[in-house]
Amino acid sequence: MEYIVETKNLTKSFGKEKAVSNLEMKIPKGEIYGFLGPNGAGKTTTIRMLLGLMRPTSGSVQLFGKDMKNNRIDILKNVGSLVENPSYYPHLTAKENLEASRKILHAPKERIDEVLKLVRLHGVRNKKVKGFSLGMKQRLGIAAAMLHQPELLILDEPTNGLDPSGIIEMRELIQSLPKEYGMTVLISSHLLSEIDQMATRVGVVTKGKMIFQDSIETMRKIAQASIQIKVNDNEAAWRSMLANGQKADLGEEHINLQVEDDEQVAASIDYLVQQGFSIYRVQEETRSLENIFLEMTKEEHAE
Amino acid sequence: MISVISSEWYKLRKSKVLLLLLVAPLVGLFIGMSSSLGDIGAINPWYEKLVMMNFTYAVLFLPLISGVLASVICRYEHQKGGWKQLLALPVTRGKVFLSKYVLLLLLIFVMQLLYLVSIYLVGMIGGITEPFPMDIVWKTIVGGWMATFPLIALQLWVSIAFKSFAAPFAINVIFTLPTILVINSERFGPYYPWGQPFLMMNIGGSAEDFFFVPWDQILMVVGGSFLLFFIGGYLYFQRKAI
Ligand SMILES: Nc1ncnc2c1ncn2[C@@H]1O[C@H](COP(=O)(O)OP(=O)(O)OP(=O)(O)O)[C@@H](O)[C@H]1O
Ligand SMILES: [Mg+2]
Repeated sequence: MEYIVETKNLTKSFGKEKAVSNLEMKIPKGEIYGFLGPNGAGKTTTIRMLLGLMRPTSGSVQLFGKDMKNNRIDILKNVGSLVENPSYYPHLTAKENLEASRKILHAPKERIDEVLKLVRLHGVRNKKVKGFSLGMKQRLGIAAAMLHQPELLILDEPTNGLDPSGIIEMRELIQSLPKEYGMTVLISSHLLSEIDQMATRVGVVTKGKMIFQDSIETMRKIAQASIQIKVNDNEAAWRSMLANGQKADLGEEHINLQVEDDEQVAASIDYLVQQGFSIYRVQEETRSLENIFLEMTKEEHAE
Repeated sequence: MISVISSEWYKLRKSKVLLLLLVAPLVGLFIGMSSSLGDIGAINPWYEKLVMMNFTYAVLFLPLISGVLASVICRYEHQKGGWKQLLALPVTRGKVFLSKYVLLLLLIFVMQLLYLVSIYLVGMIGGITEPFPMDIVWKTIVGGWMATFPLIALQLWVSIAFKSFAAPFAINVIFTLPTILVINSERFGPYYPWGQPFLMMNIGGSAEDFFFVPWDQILMVVGGSFLLFFIGGYLYFQRKAI
């Protein structure tokens, strides 16, 4: 598979502490990759290394199949980015800010107006950015990242400071990028709900470690309902089911069944009845994606 | 490279800091105007003015303002995450460093030219009738400029390293102020980088030397400290985590 972003054993230590630890990030072309993790998980640190702003302690970064170490300039010609808080020159207007970057990117002059319209800042293009609201600065940052129509867009918490309608606009904009321009997007967030409607792939990171990386569908599957069964003797029933080759977990109050379809539920219950267990309760527990995400990141905390 | 310099210039010219370039030449003008002729008995009234003006200008204002300009040129990057925006663009850090440095050199050259205008104005207003001694004056302009090369390199280094405006300025002042004392010392004066702008603009210096100081002093002190500071700053910037 062709990966636009691929890191191998990527590690960054600050003193003794590992902010990023053996991270293997893989982003196929045309995906919108949601990079999720709680505060301090190492998202920004990873992104800094992806952009060559910071050197990895060990491991490697490959973008477009090229090694960052030796092809930084080549790679960055095709990357647009917004890292952490929006960066800008306060004494310049929105337009002038983009012009300062445009000179280095050699993008055509018309692009400035185009991207300003795209993020709805065209009306205030001649205002000094120091008077902008946080959301406006954030939009300007996104405009700057798209100035040269990059193949890869890296956005670190781009919805920071945006109002709800701004978030929706941004989501629509980002969603359109792979379709219209074949762009690949990496977008970090600490809220799954913020990206689950647009991301096609997710990577979850806590304490510098990647603990989940797969398509959003796979994540949804995990989130799918699990069936909880309570019987007269949970433990014995659970052992019996395992011996019978069924997938089940023993909870405190009940047995958790991981099931794919209804038939399987029926079969499991049938089996328990045949084995002579008294079934007290069968209930469905649905977990939101957000819960899954919280759980994932919590488990890691407990270690 | 040109595009990086042009971007740097673009950011700078949209601000008011370019007015800083006027400060030192205006101070020179003021000193030249307020000093009266005929108290040091030089061969030519132009020389007299030059000696007066060059002292304050070259000992204090030229190095100080150069240092401030170096901070200003990094300030925009420090302010609101400009470094990460700039360095995530397809540009090497080497080019960014060099562009900032070259732009500083150009700005300071402009400042020297403005100072040249100041000298001329002083003479005109003061009613000096002798011909303008361009053969001497251009040497002080170019010599003084070259002497700032290492100072700017150091200031650029320090300005990149510190987010605050105060730290580079303090270092600037700490090295510049002692110049007044050091240049009077026969032993240390020639080796003190901050003293070189004055020495290379001092028309009362050794007349047989092209830039009023021996060439080996220029090479060793100016050249040596330039290499040290420039390479130091360059390498520091390469390694700096953004
Ligand atoms: N320059 C630095 N020096 C020392 N420690 C650092 C540095 N940068 C980050 N860290 C540490 O690395 C860890 C990861 O930080 P990082 O900023 O990458 O987290 P994050 O996932 O982006 O968090 P957030 O959601 O808050 O933005 C934190 O523990 C932080 O304290
Ligand atoms: Mg972060």
